[in-house]
Amino acid sequence: MTELSVSTTAASHVPQVPLPEAPPKVTVRSLNFYYGEHHALKNINLTLGTNRVTAFIGPSGCGKSTLLRIFNRMYDLYPGQRAVGQLMLDQTNILDPKLDLNLLRARVGMVFQKPTPFPMTIYENIAFGIRLYEKISKSEMDDRVEKALRGGALWNEVKDKLNASGLSLSGGQQQRLCIARTVAVRPEVILFDEPCSALDPISTAKVEELIQELSEDYTIAIVTHNMQQAARVSDKTAFMYLGELIEFDDTNKIFTSPSDRRTQDYITGRFG
Amino acid sequence: MADMAVQSDVMEAAGPYDRAKALSAFKLGDLTFYWITRISAISVLLILGGIILSLIAGAWPAMKEYGFAFLWTQRWAPSADPPVLGALGPIYGTLITSIIAMTIAIPVGIGIAIFLTELCPQMLRRPIGIAIELLAGIPSIIYGMWGFFVLGPFLANTFQPFMIRIFEGVPVLGAVFAGPPSYLSLFNAALILAIMVLPFITAISVDVFKTVPPVLKEAAYGMGCTTWEVVRSVVIPYTRVGVIGGIMLALGRALGETMAVTFIIGNSFRISSSIFAPGTTISAAIASEFAESDGLHQSGLILLGLLLFVLTFFVLAGARLMLMRLETKAGK
Repeated sequence: MTELSVSTTAASHVPQVPLPEAPPKVTVRSLNFYYGEHHALKNINLTLGTNRVTAFIGPSGCGKSTLLRIFNRMYDLYPGQRAVGQLMLDQTNILDPKLDLNLLRARVGMVFQKPTPFPMTIYENIAFGIRLYEKISKSEMDDRVEKALRGGALWNEVKDKLNASGLSLSGGQQQRLCIARTVAVRPEVILFDEPCSALDPISTAKVEELIQELSEDYTIAIVTHNMQQAARVSDKTAFMYLGELIEFDDTNKIFTSPSDRRTQDYITGRFG
Repeated sequence: MADMAVQSDVMEAAGPYDRAKALSAFKLGDLTFYWITRISAISVLLILGGIILSLIAGAWPAMKEYGFAFLWTQRWAPSADPPVLGALGPIYGTLITSIIAMTIAIPVGIGIAIFLTELCPQMLRRPIGIAIELLAGIPSIIYGMWGFFVLGPFLANTFQPFMIRIFEGVPVLGAVFAGPPSYLSLFNAALILAIMVLPFITAISVDVFKTVPPVLKEAAYGMGCTTWEVVRSVVIPYTRVGVIGGIMLALGRALGETMAVTFIIGNSFRISSSIFAPGTTISAAIASEFAESDGLHQSGLILLGLLLFVLTFFVLAGARLMLMRLETKAGK
């Protein structure tokens, strides 16, 4: 039942007329990325609109996840990886080497392919992130945790076992816990790196529904291998191939009348 | 199971007779394998039981003679008539040296492991890692000699006067550091023990820290955690069973280490309030006296050995208990 209702709302979400341009939240200009000598991203230009969902599709190894990991400078953890070009979050230059990464990552949250609950209780999983940035009382914290779990559409399932380990939840619940945890620190942008690839269809539907709801308050970028998912949840879609951005347009247009031959081949399943 | 049944049907159809023969050969192999592993496992129990039994048998005369008073008698006079034997001095020395050694080795060992896995530039990783491994490979008698000729004089001539100057007159701490300088002391032994067990803690911590999935660390960094917060809230909780295992292994070694300690602890059965005074441990007492002991004296030394065995057992049991409580706390 849930699935059905989701797919209808999702279908109705895809706008019949092009959405009005949203003010830019993240601006990417002539961005290049290197894994050591390997030139992984070539001259990327695009804009993530405020409170819009942007989907990144393309065959494996095309650089979608790489691009996503630049938005919160995750690549910084690994020596030998570097980005060149311009990448702005509002007025902040994300690639500035002097940038405070902890603050950046508070503004740009990330949800991973595999659910990554921390080895602590469900309550602590949420409270942990909040505590990094705010000193609040126990009762306020309780409120925030409840709100975050409601935001992650998980509250009703876990409200009686907040002190159970985050690892005791099912895969889908764990992933929603991770989304709740990300939302709890009140970021501006949320990056989803194939958030549903390890989930069953029902959990996938729930997460997709959640992404739609979140797009009212957050700017969202999602990498996915599932083209129906991209069509269901996103406003804009970027098709990438071999490290290049081939086409970037309204999702509707990409999936009905793509202007590039390669995009058409990919979405019709001729390669990839 | 259903899958497998279907598969074997298919195979049987292809060549029923060969298949049955091959399977019976497998069965014999399986049975042999089962018994070999079972006997290996049982032999552990037999050996353990045998050691305990022979210890008890050897210690029986002393147990009969001294009873439980053995545990809290400080006097150790094997040549008196009749001999008076009490284990309080060695028990005290064993516990104190191990506690001091672990207090030093745990933070330093885990600190090194964190540095090596999370912070260290790639270039330094191998040299430091190899140095740690070499530290584990040094024979304990070398540590003993180094403690005797280098560390002992330094502690007696420089470190102890310094501590005395700081803590003189302070109620408890004053007595802990007081006393005439001595190259041979509990603290010297504890320090050597700390260096000896350090590689165990570090090597095991490094190994288990490496098992933390990178994506879990990325998730924590992705929330804006600093390296310290990632280590404290994700890496260590995720690996605590392994880390505690390493610590227990180290503690076991510290409790039982003999050669280096016998060399530098002074072999005095008197209990002194100062950690710079000579003392003894259970294993050091046994090692230094066993060769020239007989009768009740020898039985008393075997009883000491039995005590060490029991002590180690309780330490391990305590560690298990602690782990279980930690796990309930983490909500498992």
